[in-house]
Amino acid sequence: MMQPKIEVKNITVNYYSFNKGINSLKDFVTGFKFLNPFERKKVLEDVSITVYPGEVFGILGRNGAGKSTLLKSIAGILNPSEGSVVVNGTIAPLLAIGAGMEMELTGIENIRLIGSLLNYSKAEMDAKIEKIIAFSELSLEELQRPVKTFSSGMVSRMSFSLAVADTPDILIIDEVLAVGDRGFRDKCLDRVREIKVAGSTILFVSHNFDEMQKICTRGICIEKGKITAEGDFQKVGEYYKSLFK
Amino acid sequence: MKNTIDTVINLTRRNLKLKYKNSILGYFWSLLTPLFYLSIFVFVFSRAFGSVENYPLYALTGLIFWQFFNNGINQIINSFISNAGIIKTIFVPLKFFPISAIYTELISFLLSLIPFTFVMLFFGLQLNAQSLFIFPYLAIFSFFILGIGLTLASLNVYLRDVSILWNTLSPALFYFSPIVYTASFVPQEYLWILKLNPLYYFFEGTRSILYHGVLPSLMNLGITATLATVAMIIGVFTLKKLSPGMVSNL
Repeated sequence: MMQPKIEVKNITVNYYSFNKGINSLKDFVTGFKFLNPFERKKVLEDVSITVYPGEVFGILGRNGAGKSTLLKSIAGILNPSEGSVVVNGTIAPLLAIGAGMEMELTGIENIRLIGSLLNYSKAEMDAKIEKIIAFSELSLEELQRPVKTFSSGMVSRMSFSLAVADTPDILIIDEVLAVGDRGFRDKCLDRVREIKVAGSTILFVSHNFDEMQKICTRGICIEKGKITAEGDFQKVGEYYKSLFK
Repeated sequence: MKNTIDTVINLTRRNLKLKYKNSILGYFWSLLTPLFYLSIFVFVFSRAFGSVENYPLYALTGLIFWQFFNNGINQIINSFISNAGIIKTIFVPLKFFPISAIYTELISFLLSLIPFTFVMLFFGLQLNAQSLFIFPYLAIFSFFILGIGLTLASLNVYLRDVSILWNTLSPALFYFSPIVYTASFVPQEYLWILKLNPLYYFFEGTRSILYHGVLPSLMNLGITATLATVAMIIGVFTLKKLSPGMVSNL
């Protein structure tokens, strides 16, 4: 039995929002709300998935179903209030377009900054930066301009290159392939396949169903925070499509 | 651990670059602002505080540290909000952002201290071995600022009123602290009110070192170190308590 790369067991994730506003400020003080100032909203309920090496795991669901929340819990950004997440390996999140980038800084500066946020040491970064730049197909001259002058396609090239230039253990792709020209998109999909062959695990969220069908092996469908279908991606895909009929 | 340091250094470097981006005078602003205030205070108050020996140096040894405090809090208070894009997409321990914020201000303050030394020398600063004590003292002050900042920054994620409130209250705090006046101008029976302000002790310390040219009293060191520790404990506790909902409120 292979050791799973990702094991999510019965997690429940709550979003906490703060009771605010002038009306509630009074309640806040008089109703002793400051003892428990958060209002909870369940975003995921009792969700379990197990993903093995070499799998491309697709997550389907409508907007607001909890797909990104699941990815964030796996990446460690959100802590589930119940259940556990075990991840064997390092995660490279494919950042939403431009996320974490500082518009005023140059492309190179951003690559270094995000690299260090992704926990690459300076030495690792020095080794990687050539690959990243090569993969992005952006020229050095372009990368020395502030990111605010980039087109959204160029920004997504940078985001993608950061995550895939090296072969990560676990790659998280959240809705990011949408931008970028055709050539680069195909290149990205090819690269994702290569990473899969290398034995890494990929979590894939997208609304581009055709693209997902090309590479996903297994998957789940999430509705209102609960898993309603899981298993072979084709079957999950059919179930997902039937929701819209 | 090594990567932690790398990350904080990179964030600090980014903050420093952003701080004066798109401004022509860049880092000179951290010089010009206190000097501008100094000229106002010397002009307005030198008559009133004529009895204070060497008033410009007195005011300056308070003003620049106030500037450090104020800039530090301002940088920290928004450190989570301005990094929301990162916090929501990459797993980075939250404390990195306020820590790199205080480093940013500490570095730009230390840089501005070089020309300020000349300005202070011009106004009659006597440099001696004790003057070097300003650096460890700044470390204590930084911990205090970081502690207060952590509390305010964590609350600010949930209630953006906090930073607005801070902007409103900070000028009041300025006049509540003995920066442009001396404690001796406050009637004896009201002095205790002034001493309720934690900043009172920090300015007392910076004055001993740079204005009087002696080390701060043990009493002063004890009080400021305690204040810094308490501020840090409250700050770390608040951050810990409020961090579960932070990602969803950014």
